[in-house]
Amino acid sequence: MATTTTTSSSKAALVKLAIALLIVGSLFAVPRYVSSPYALHIMILIFLSTIMGESWNILGGYTGQYSVGHAAYFGVGAYTTVMLMQFRQVPPWIGVWAGIAAVLVVALIIGSICFRLRGPYFVLASIAVAEIMRLSATNLNSITKGAEGILATEIPVFKIGEHVVTDFLTKVPFYYIGLSLALITIAVTWGVQHSKLGYYFQAIREDQDAAHSLGINIPLYKNIGLAISATLTALAGSFYAIYVGFVDPTTVLSLDLSVQIVLVCIIGGIGTIYGPVVGAIALVPLSEALRSNVIAEGIFKTGFVDPASATGTFLKENLAHAHVLIYGILVVIVILFMPEGVLGFIRKLGSRMKKGKA
Amino acid sequence: MTIFLQSLISGILVGGVYALIGIGLTLIFGVMRIINFAHGDIMMIGMYLTYMLFSMAGIDPFVSVLISFPLMYLLGVFLQKVLINRVLDALPQNQILLTIGMGLIMSNTMMLAFTSDYKILSTTYSSSSISIGGISISQPLTISFLITAVITAGLYWFLVKTNTGQAVRATAQDREAAQLMGINVKRMSGIAFGLGAGLAGTAGALISPTYYIFPQVGSVFTLKAFVITVLGGMGSVVGAAIGGVIVGVSESMGAVYISSGWKDVVVYVIFLLVLLFKPSGLLGKSRM
Amino acid sequence: MAILEIQHVSKFFGGLAANSDVSFSMEEGMIMGLIGPNGAGKTTLFNCITGYYPPSKGDVFFKGRRMNGLQPDKVCKLGMVRTWQKVRPLGKLSVVDNVMVGALCRTNSLRVAREIAMEQIEVVHLSHKADFLAGGLPIGERKKLEVARVLATKPDLLLLDEVMGGLNPSESEEIIRLILDIKARGVSQMVIEHDMKTIMRISDRIVVLNSGEKLTEGSPDEVVQNQAVIDAYLGESHA
Repeated sequence: MATTTTTSSSKAALVKLAIALLIVGSLFAVPRYVSSPYALHIMILIFLSTIMGESWNILGGYTGQYSVGHAAYFGVGAYTTVMLMQFRQVPPWIGVWAGIAAVLVVALIIGSICFRLRGPYFVLASIAVAEIMRLSATNLNSITKGAEGILATEIPVFKIGEHVVTDFLTKVPFYYIGLSLALITIAVTWGVQHSKLGYYFQAIREDQDAAHSLGINIPLYKNIGLAISATLTALAGSFYAIYVGFVDPTTVLSLDLSVQIVLVCIIGGIGTIYGPVVGAIALVPLSEALRSNVIAEGIFKTGFVDPASATGTFLKENLAHAHVLIYGILVVIVILFMPEGVLGFIRKLGSRMKKGKA
Repeated sequence: MTIFLQSLISGILVGGVYALIGIGLTLIFGVMRIINFAHGDIMMIGMYLTYMLFSMAGIDPFVSVLISFPLMYLLGVFLQKVLINRVLDALPQNQILLTIGMGLIMSNTMMLAFTSDYKILSTTYSSSSISIGGISISQPLTISFLITAVITAGLYWFLVKTNTGQAVRATAQDREAAQLMGINVKRMSGIAFGLGAGLAGTAGALISPTYYIFPQVGSVFTLKAFVITVLGGMGSVVGAAIGGVIVGVSESMGAVYISSGWKDVVVYVIFLLVLLFKPSGLLGKSRM
Repeated sequence: MAILEIQHVSKFFGGLAANSDVSFSMEEGMIMGLIGPNGAGKTTLFNCITGYYPPSKGDVFFKGRRMNGLQPDKVCKLGMVRTWQKVRPLGKLSVVDNVMVGALCRTNSLRVAREIAMEQIEVVHLSHKADFLAGGLPIGERKKLEVARVLATKPDLLLLDEVMGGLNPSESEEIIRLILDIKARGVSQMVIEHDMKTIMRISDRIVVLNSGEKLTEGSPDEVVQNQAVIDAYLGESHA
């Protein structure tokens, strides 16, 4: 965070900036050279996980408020956008604003209830509120179609004047939207970390009473953190809903989703700008590989297991369902052996190697 | 009036089993200050254990408690020694995430082993009931309530009258002081987690004749267990027993007077209200 | 003019009175010592003054303004800030970032806050540790950091709760000089300290608390000769 102005550090900053621009540039070029819809799909999922992770990170990682109920914001954003599009013919790029507005109202209510509580009580309250949202979406049949969910039949064509920008028929527009949103959330996180907000958030995380005595209005700043976090999560929810074209309570409002959002951060490294990116890059391909049976196929190719044997059939049938199991094992390993996440672990290794050399 | 009494009684009966789950969670929290998010999943394992004992060896679910309690106790001690023990001094959020991870491993391992199909354990008496003055009382629920009452009384006796039980309580009251007094707090933590798991497993056994058995059933009960312990005051055994009955009754009342879809919402709303207005629980500060 | 006026302040926890009917006032620019045996209610009084608990009875006036019911952050903004008996460093932030959090109370600019922070770190002689994580400092430096952090909020009145507790004599001496230095800049201070010699040396006036009540008040010389004070302290050390 130090802004020392020695020439060596400004050079390092320039190099960093150059690398970042290179990465972003090549990411924008990807759809020109990659036509496989599956590859684009994986990239879109990584962007989505990044957005979710970064948004949670602002409240959980920086402000230290471990919400395990972020599915509430994801789900309300997703539902609002899809319902407006499907039932009221409001195009999603307008509906998403309504989604954000709805989420802010929800966040304000949740904040006023949950922020009076600390530690484990806050965690429990955040879960309870998200569960109330899920049960409400399930039971309010007349509005949300209940457990059956809502299928978005057709996304309207996006035009500026008479010029057709995109008709959303391929994955390419979603790729660009996802990438842009991911970059925006990273930029927001960067902005937070390099401002008074970031200092105040971290002070609250480190010691709420000390922060209070140093002139920090605790409820105000917690709610600001929540509002930023919830807004970005709502964006992720709306994006997901339009991309997949379907919402139902168990996919967009479930406790599992809330846990997954936290996992992206924990695995990557909490309270850091790039932790969620690392987490998303680690988790998405892994769970997709498991889901699509790539791993089972790989095991068969090595020749150790005969696909026709009993073990082979078992692997083929079940490995696809095992991705959550792997999530669980990953969490346990990360918490026990690298509590600062992959990023923190690598940093520690790096500094140890430096010490070893010196 | 009949409907009211009917739902009151079935609420109390179900609440007894909930109390067991809650007592287990509260014991663990009391001794280790850890909120066990895998609690419902431990209970789920108890349900499958009961199901297997019934379908493979023909052991009656209520009798199988004698087998499942000690087995689940051992599982609890194992989990505590291998995993929980390592995070006793970690940040609370890391403890929470560790137990969430444990829960995911348990539920998904069971899914690999048993698929995610709903299993039903139907005994000859699963749906039989006794009728008193127009109020029908489910027979399996009544038996499980009685077993719950016996176990709770036994546990209370253990905690109050035995040396080990008193050491567990002392550890819960003040870990450092207990250590200074020569109590082996690590052993007490193992016992607490073992008892917690044993009670959760027993609850699973008792509920299996009247409930669907599937790998994801745990999360519902984990949340219920939290509600119960917070209602009774974290760490209070008596509070958890009362909390369990309150949750059981509010669910059955909610199902009758509002709708069955909303009954869980009723419970969560009560939960939030208690957290906000009486965070130390309905019984205040008292512990165990 | 009195910078702080405490009128009939009582604080009850359940039936227990941690403070009962405490009144005194403090002139601008002075160092007020607050002493008393363990459990006399010194820290509770700090908590009542700085907004951590509302007093059960009585009023606190700061610069003529009634403070009851104001939250600690508001109290800090008005120019009164406290340190903690058990230090509370923001462990995962660097020393300079810790102090910047205090400085941000008066500015929105990180650049300005960093300047203020570097100044205050200099004042407490921690400049060589500016980029170290606060959580890794030894106790003596944590105490200094605590002082630098509250100074960065530009207070008019500083409440120091045992800033010398657990320090070795040379570290204590450094803090004593720091307190006198702060006084020279016109910042009023109220100091809780156990060591009688120190408190006699730095205080302009001393208030003695015992079992939640004000036992006496006066100049250091008056207090040290007061029979009730001698009894209270002898009672403690002989018990």
